[in-house]
Amino acid sequence: MLVKVASAANLGLETIKVDVEVHLANRGLPGFEIVGLPDKAVDESKERVRAAILSSGIEFPAKKIIVNLAPADIPKEGSFYDLPIALGILKSVLPFSLPEKSLFFGELSLDGSLRHTRGAFLLALFAQEAGFENLFVPKDSANEASVIKGIKVYPVENLFELTNHFLGRKLITPAIFKKSEIDERLPAPAEFDMKEILGQEQAKRAMEIAASGSHNIIMIGSPGSGKTMLARALPGILPPLSEEESLEVTKLYSATGNIPPGGSLVTNRQFRAPHHTASQVGLIGGGTRPQPGEISLAHRGVLFLDEFNEFPRSVMEALRQPLEDGHLTISRSRERVEYPADFMLVASANPCPCGYLNHPKKNCVCSPRQIRKYQKRISGPILDRIDLHVVIQPVDVEEFSENQKASEFLESSEKIRKRVALAREIQLKRFKKENIYSGQDARYINCYTNAQMKNSHIKKYCQLTKEVEQLLKQAGLKFQLSARSYMKMIKVARTIADLDGAGDIGIIHMAEALQYRPKIYEDV
Amino acid sequence: MENVVELKDKKYPELLKKIKGAPKKLYYKGNWEDIFSAEGGPASGGKNCLAVVGSRRLTSYGRRMTQLLVSEIAASGITIVSGFMYGGDEAAHQATVEVGGRTIAVMPCGIDLIHPEYQEELYQKILDNRGLILSEFEGNFPPALWTYPKRDRIVAGLSQAVLVVEAGLVSGTFITVKHARSFGRKVFAVPGPLTSEVSKGTAQMIKEGAEIVTEAKDVLKYFKLDSCLAGPSNSIGAMIKMSDQEKKIMENLKREPLEADGLARALSLPVSKISADLSLMQIKGFIKQEGNKYYVQ
Repeated sequence: MLVKVASAANLGLETIKVDVEVHLANRGLPGFEIVGLPDKAVDESKERVRAAILSSGIEFPAKKIIVNLAPADIPKEGSFYDLPIALGILKSVLPFSLPEKSLFFGELSLDGSLRHTRGAFLLALFAQEAGFENLFVPKDSANEASVIKGIKVYPVENLFELTNHFLGRKLITPAIFKKSEIDERLPAPAEFDMKEILGQEQAKRAMEIAASGSHNIIMIGSPGSGKTMLARALPGILPPLSEEESLEVTKLYSATGNIPPGGSLVTNRQFRAPHHTASQVGLIGGGTRPQPGEISLAHRGVLFLDEFNEFPRSVMEALRQPLEDGHLTISRSRERVEYPADFMLVASANPCPCGYLNHPKKNCVCSPRQIRKYQKRISGPILDRIDLHVVIQPVDVEEFSENQKASEFLESSEKIRKRVALAREIQLKRFKKENIYSGQDARYINCYTNAQMKNSHIKKYCQLTKEVEQLLKQAGLKFQLSARSYMKMIKVARTIADLDGAGDIGIIHMAEALQYRPKIYEDV
Repeated sequence: MENVVELKDKKYPELLKKIKGAPKKLYYKGNWEDIFSAEGGPASGGKNCLAVVGSRRLTSYGRRMTQLLVSEIAASGITIVSGFMYGGDEAAHQATVEVGGRTIAVMPCGIDLIHPEYQEELYQKILDNRGLILSEFEGNFPPALWTYPKRDRIVAGLSQAVLVVEAGLVSGTFITVKHARSFGRKVFAVPGPLTSEVSKGTAQMIKEGAEIVTEAKDVLKYFKLDSCLAGPSNSIGAMIKMSDQEKKIMENLKREPLEADGLARALSLPVSKISADLSLMQIKGFIKQEGNKYYVQ
């Protein structure tokens, strides 16, 4: 007897249909085999399925069972074939028929219940595109899948419940999407509010500009000057993800199993802060089955690299291409996977090995040679791709206890966030016409922010008046700006103008942008 | 041609000849004749030599002062002698070549080495400006701990006076000053904030009798020269064209160099309001940024 159950496999962010064929032979010794390039997790599904069926109070057929995962030449991985395999076996034992146009997906527990399984969101997307009508997923993953409209998502608690549903004894009601509180907590809210940070007015302003235009930013300063604190406060001033952005990020998080049970859409911008011992694969993505790295998990959000020049050179250089393109392709002999990686890089570094170069109170004990060597650890091409450069000076706390006036400047994150959100709206409107491709495809990264502008965009949207161009030229001579830096300055000036609500880039906007030109590390 | 001058030679610098333990041989690169020509010339017999020395850990204040003083002194025709080390020495050489002045770099190593090697650009600039590279060590003699004090004795011996910009209480600069005193040469010292480690040494020197320097004229008077610069540049004219806010920024910076944050606090303005002005004033050349602080040019 042969039963076919439809399921799917996720290859990167793409999903393909997989037919789970279960064949039970009356002749031959009883046994259980899975074919079709299963990995270890798929192969072990035999034991889970057997135990789950027995735990549900149904007898496991003593027959020769062959499970084929078709197409047979694509490697299958993961635990989510448990449910379709179990159903295939059950159908040969119990008198029920499976509904047409249905997809099954889920990992079984030994007691017959279904566990939260990664990739439910991608599966639902695929189901919608491929014209399926019903989707059976674990209960914990149902909210994630039900985001997609046009399909019925059935939350399945356990095998027993599912057989009852098919036998018509007790029907499962399809899940209705509801915003869950769990999503709001992902990621954790900002650790600091901007108003808790004393002084650092220029750095805070730079953060505001960076957040508004999604510009990359590097902070250079002595230990204890507040670099990390500023970065940790950044999520508090970032606007929430737009609907389209949210779908993009949710795909990635679903594929990597980063959506918690009961969660659904990722609505907040992600803040990823990998330690500098992170491997290249961990940061960029890769592996034999290519997985997205931290840069993809920071898609449309923030990648914070603290102690930037402690990262291995190879890891740092690998950032170059994704920084430019906003996505990356991981190629392996068997497959080629595209992951979006449009993130805002926030880097922090010390000015010298001892950390106290130009410190107002402490003396630096490094020789120029050491300083050069240290600063050279961040390569020119990487620095060239960073739009805003800020030098952070340690704050004299005493000055603040005496100086009441200084406290007047302290603005809450909420207040800054409102300005940032306004600036982003202006940008969204500007680039609306540029997004001819749908947001579904990782290859085409939509342009939402000023930082993403290509040269053609700059020509179109950043027309400079004669005076501003003159200023930029003078500054280029005075501060020895590279050609790429020119473009960066224009982009930053565009964002400052947006924050100001101005249509054209004015002299004041360009002049302010010049404050954030490459400074200390400029001769590296 | 081997560039060597021996003690018995006529063209051996007179001032250096006088000191006890003068080097027997001097190896050099560059232009000997112009600087140590026996007959006349702008600096006959190397008489118009001023040693400028400072801490290796020069602060932004020290760098600034070196630049201000040395550029005026060098432009007035004085040859600046220093030790080519990074920090104070490098700043003195740099300031000199920037105004096209002549400078002598006394190396702590063999004449064929450039030490520290990353200052090669400066090395070339010194030669381009008809300066001189000097050493008592030949060939590829490596620098060692003991060669530095020996070098210092030549720096002091070549010069009529020594100008100290910044020095710690225990430092190589003190060695040069000690030599200069024993050779009977004048010592000038630039005062600095006493909270700074590298100004404590100069304060000590002033206590011990070094002459205090507040402007280039103090040094030039000793050489019986006038400043070639006609007073401060036309900053008053420039002030008229400034906006009120720019004027306020200038006032504050004249009192004390500040970074953008400090300036914003002093003016009670958000930093976004003054950032543009700071860039513009920098481009116009009113102010200068060094070590993240802004100075009045």
